[in-house]
Amino acid sequence: MSSSLSTTIVRLYWLATLLLFAAVAWMLVFWTPREASMGDVQKIFYIHLPAAIHTFVACFVVFVGSVMYLLQRRLWWDDVASAAAKVSVLLASLVLLTGMVWGRSAWGHWWTWSPRLTFSLILWLLYVVYLVIRPSIESSQKRALISAVYGVIAFLDVPLVYLSTKLLPDIHPKEIVLTARMGTTLLAWFAPMTMLAAGLIVVSFRINRLRRTSLEEVETEFEEPRLVPAGGNA
Amino acid sequence: MTRAVRHIAMLTLKDLRIEARGRQTVGLVAVLAVLIVVVLGIGLSPGRGADGLSATAILWVAYLFGGVLVFERTMEVERHDDALAGLLLAPVDRGAIFAAKLLANLLLMFAIAVIVTPVAVLFFHFDLSAAPGGFAAVMLVSMVGYAAIGTLFAALTSSTRLAGGLLAMLVFPVALPLVLASTRLLHGVFEQGEALGGAGLAVLIAFDLIFLVVSWLVFEMVLEA
Repeated sequence: MSSSLSTTIVRLYWLATLLLFAAVAWMLVFWTPREASMGDVQKIFYIHLPAAIHTFVACFVVFVGSVMYLLQRRLWWDDVASAAAKVSVLLASLVLLTGMVWGRSAWGHWWTWSPRLTFSLILWLLYVVYLVIRPSIESSQKRALISAVYGVIAFLDVPLVYLSTKLLPDIHPKEIVLTARMGTTLLAWFAPMTMLAAGLIVVSFRINRLRRTSLEEVETEFEEPRLVPAGGNA
Repeated sequence: MTRAVRHIAMLTLKDLRIEARGRQTVGLVAVLAVLIVVVLGIGLSPGRGADGLSATAILWVAYLFGGVLVFERTMEVERHDDALAGLLLAPVDRGAIFAAKLLANLLLMFAIAVIVTPVAVLFFHFDLSAAPGGFAAVMLVSMVGYAAIGTLFAALTSSTRLAGGLLAMLVFPVALPLVLASTRLLHGVFEQGEALGGAGLAVLIAFDLIFLVVSWLVFEMVLEA
């Protein structure tokens, strides 16, 4: 594919994402009815839920990239995992912030140790740690290895975090009954959110690859040769 | 099977012998853990009795930091004079190396807990008489899971420049379900007079099983001299 064609495709992709966001924002504000008991602030839910689900998807991509790195020892997989980790932190931040805004409106406090808020916070922390430890490890092989092991452990930790936060006293309101229009808006929000999450992972991955190829020549000069399993390209 | 058990026993005893002769870890870490308890005790208005929840939380802070130092030190001895290379060349299964390190870490953590727990109980007037066995069981089960991830990450980070700080960063967030589940469990036992068990204990046991298996599997892949 020529570079100008791929640039056009990328531009079209982001333009489509932007237009979709504009459309669902319009739906959210003008078309979706107000929820009776909570009012306008309930509308944050249409952003909150798709963001939360895509956080899990991004965490799963980190897990897959990490497992594949451990099996194959190809830095390509480390680039996949770290790209997805950035997106998972971004989305988890969105989940945490929208959750806090909603909590402020519902309970009058920005923060309560409710099971769901605590769960979002620990999930966010788990993947922030993934990102912040990386720059402090100098060797790229070692960095990839530690990140991969952590990526596996963190993902397996998520259900345990969820179950343990369930033990906290809950003041969350019970299930909200969605009308047909509310359900449509919720579904519609998944489209631009999926495009945003996927697009950001790809962009971040391509930046990682570019950085890797430009650094590789420098690194191979200074790094001691290491033994890698057969099939590894590192 | 018996061969593997013999190897594990031999390697665990080696680590304990190093500790017995050098006395570098338990004394140092126990004093650090007592210091943590004292700092928190002074901070949380002295003289006031602590409820079950805050006493276990204070103990957890001491155990978490103490644990990191233990994991780091038992792995550090393998870095001296390339001892790890010798260990890897020995005809010993890597799973046995993991099991032995885990056992040594656990025993050292227990030794520290035996010193620091009575201190915390004394300072915070924490009444354990309702269920001393339950308290010990919950902490014991929690420490197994914590030691499993600690042993794995210590093997990974010991060769990096930032070993200690990095290890704490890696294990603390992962260990949070243990802290949450065990503090809730003990709150139920001591404050509400509930029987030990239920979802809290299930989370602790699930944590132990998952991370014992995963750490054992991954340890073989990551151990390099």
